[in-house]
Amino acid sequence: MNYRRMTALLTKETRELVRDPVTIVLAVIMPLIMLFLFGYAINLDVDELALGIYDQDNTPMSRMLVDRFASSPYFEIIEYSHSTHDLERSMQRSQIRAGIVIPSGFSRRVLRNQPAPVQVIIDGGYPVIARLGLAYIDAVVASFPKPQPDLVGVETRVWYNPSLSSITFVVPGLFAVILMAFPPLLTALAIVREKETGSVSQIYASPLHSSEYILGKLLPYASVAFLEILMVILVGFAWFKVPIAGSLPLLFFASLIYVFTTVGIGLLVSSIARTQLAAMLLTLIITLMPSFLFSGFLFPIFTMPFGLQLYSQLFPANYFMEVSRGILLKGLGIEAVLPNLLLLIIYTVVVFIFATWRMKQKVA
Amino acid sequence: MPVAFIGLLRKETIQFFRDRVILGLILWLYTIEVVICAMALSFDVENVPMAVVDQDRSVLSRTLLQKFALSESFVLKHQENDVSVAERHLTRGEVTTILVIPPGFERSVRAGNQAKVQFLQDGTDSNIAANSLYYAKGIVNAFVREQFPQSRDTNVVSVTRIWYNPQLTTANFMVLSMIALAGMMVGVIHPAASIVREKERGTIEQLLVTPISTLQLFLAKLTPTMIMGILSVFPSLLIVRAFDVPLRGSLALFLALTGVFLLSAIALGVLIASYSRTLQQALLLSFFGLFPVMFLSGTLTPVESMPVFLQALSYLSPLRYYMDIITGIFLKGAGWMELWDETLSLLAIAVPMLILALAVFRRRLK
Repeated sequence: MNYRRMTALLTKETRELVRDPVTIVLAVIMPLIMLFLFGYAINLDVDELALGIYDQDNTPMSRMLVDRFASSPYFEIIEYSHSTHDLERSMQRSQIRAGIVIPSGFSRRVLRNQPAPVQVIIDGGYPVIARLGLAYIDAVVASFPKPQPDLVGVETRVWYNPSLSSITFVVPGLFAVILMAFPPLLTALAIVREKETGSVSQIYASPLHSSEYILGKLLPYASVAFLEILMVILVGFAWFKVPIAGSLPLLFFASLIYVFTTVGIGLLVSSIARTQLAAMLLTLIITLMPSFLFSGFLFPIFTMPFGLQLYSQLFPANYFMEVSRGILLKGLGIEAVLPNLLLLIIYTVVVFIFATWRMKQKVA
Repeated sequence: MPVAFIGLLRKETIQFFRDRVILGLILWLYTIEVVICAMALSFDVENVPMAVVDQDRSVLSRTLLQKFALSESFVLKHQENDVSVAERHLTRGEVTTILVIPPGFERSVRAGNQAKVQFLQDGTDSNIAANSLYYAKGIVNAFVREQFPQSRDTNVVSVTRIWYNPQLTTANFMVLSMIALAGMMVGVIHPAASIVREKERGTIEQLLVTPISTLQLFLAKLTPTMIMGILSVFPSLLIVRAFDVPLRGSLALFLALTGVFLLSAIALGVLIASYSRTLQQALLLSFFGLFPVMFLSGTLTPVESMPVFLQALSYLSPLRYYMDIITGIFLKGAGWMELWDETLSLLAIAVPMLILALAVFRRRLK
């Protein structure tokens, strides 16, 4: 490998990147936007479930039950209907998620110690909300008119993220997603653009080695990627107060490996795709989508069918997610994250060997 | 209609259908992606891996364990005698919940004293953690109700009816939301890419010197995406069928409103194309625009759970209204009477965006 030739190419690539401020600014700002969006938006708790109430009984007793719902932080009473038909209409228009019908004679039955059913209608269109909503409604109804002492109490201790805040869980996962989203895309597009404009044949004609070419191409994008991760860590730490339980240098080391995995995948894509559009679609399908949906970032892998659990193992975001959550939240040391780190390293090496081999075929 | 416009329209259509990669991607998004996501993705608390430590070893404690083993929410992975061993499973991530039943559990329950069971929860994934704790409590409560019915002295019970999706299958919801997402992505990325490609190759200048007006050019760029966006709904309808998602409302209304929704997506695409010089920029800008629109729409996470200021922002996302429309038509059998305000909101977003897109398109080309 010739050092001078490589730096020449490196300078050219860096200049090309710097000359395109839109791309750089977007590449740096996007992760931050994602961070803020996810940090605040990803929350599956239900509070203020939109309720409609149809109180047929209209007695002090039934109003007391309505008050229980009104005073709970989990519900917001949107409307008091005067018929089941009204409830139905509001539900169809998605104004309310659940309807509660207190039948006439409710109060009498409660006072006489007879079974007093309360009718609950819930919109099953959004299953997440429906399940939790039902559970919350049940809890209110079951403790009416007076709270029941539990015969079996439940004591809980939560490890690693005791406040169950979603941001502490989102940020470490976001590293894996962001780095899979942009660096491969940028790298692939940069190389394929040269193919499209034809300037790549000049490179083939030059004495440049394929390894020199690859390094010169990749280093600028790898630095952008590393910059992205630094920023997300910084903002996550300073703004969202994400705890860092483990060692930061270890995380940086792992990120460095992962950065090379991501640009390596970009390289691989560029050695397959012939047009920028094709390259972009391919990266969308093999990096962005899976790192988002099949990495355990939002959707837990253990709930997937077995075949798709295997599918999710094809993508490296998965391994890095374990590492970064392990280090930041659980405070794991090197020996605990080593298996996943090794997998990442092997993955990267294989990707590079394959991509270089494809490149060589073309250069030679 | 001038001949030039028809010619241009033909060119755009031919170009569109010649690009196999694009067609492939669009089909992928509308079919395979929908299937994969509907099968795999769910926020349901199902099969949560669990370790149990039964220190009581009584009939009652075993019955309780049985309840957990039989529930859909939990899978018993390990049964240990020692809490510290179970904790090691938790640290390694093999299980995310540990249930500890302390010694003397049965004795104190039978004596009518309050007994305690303990849950140790890995809080890393806060959503799963919160939900699995909730379900765990539900299982314990159901167990108490079943074993000791006399312990309750209330008669108020809730009788539940679940409308629209009685089995509460997430797949129903996921299928519909993935179709909506596909429409959004295709609607934005395709017009953006086709305009920027002409810019990059310099062919846009050739179009500008022809007698075609920018309005005609604008319309010609928009039409193929529109047609494709509506046509590609049909393969998805087969998938909708395969997942047993009902279509309770009118198909015609669905197609019409899909058209309105696509208008807003296309407008966003044209805007992006007007401001970018290279495909790379256009794609980055598309992501930039798509992410907020997607995440504030309730397609992946419920809007109700977002903080108030994001809920306010979500009113700007056309996808939010489309999501209400699509679930409304398919699951709830909503018709025009129920959906007119969503439609108006969509129009209120689409029309100004289209006008803006046209204006910017004109100005940036000149």
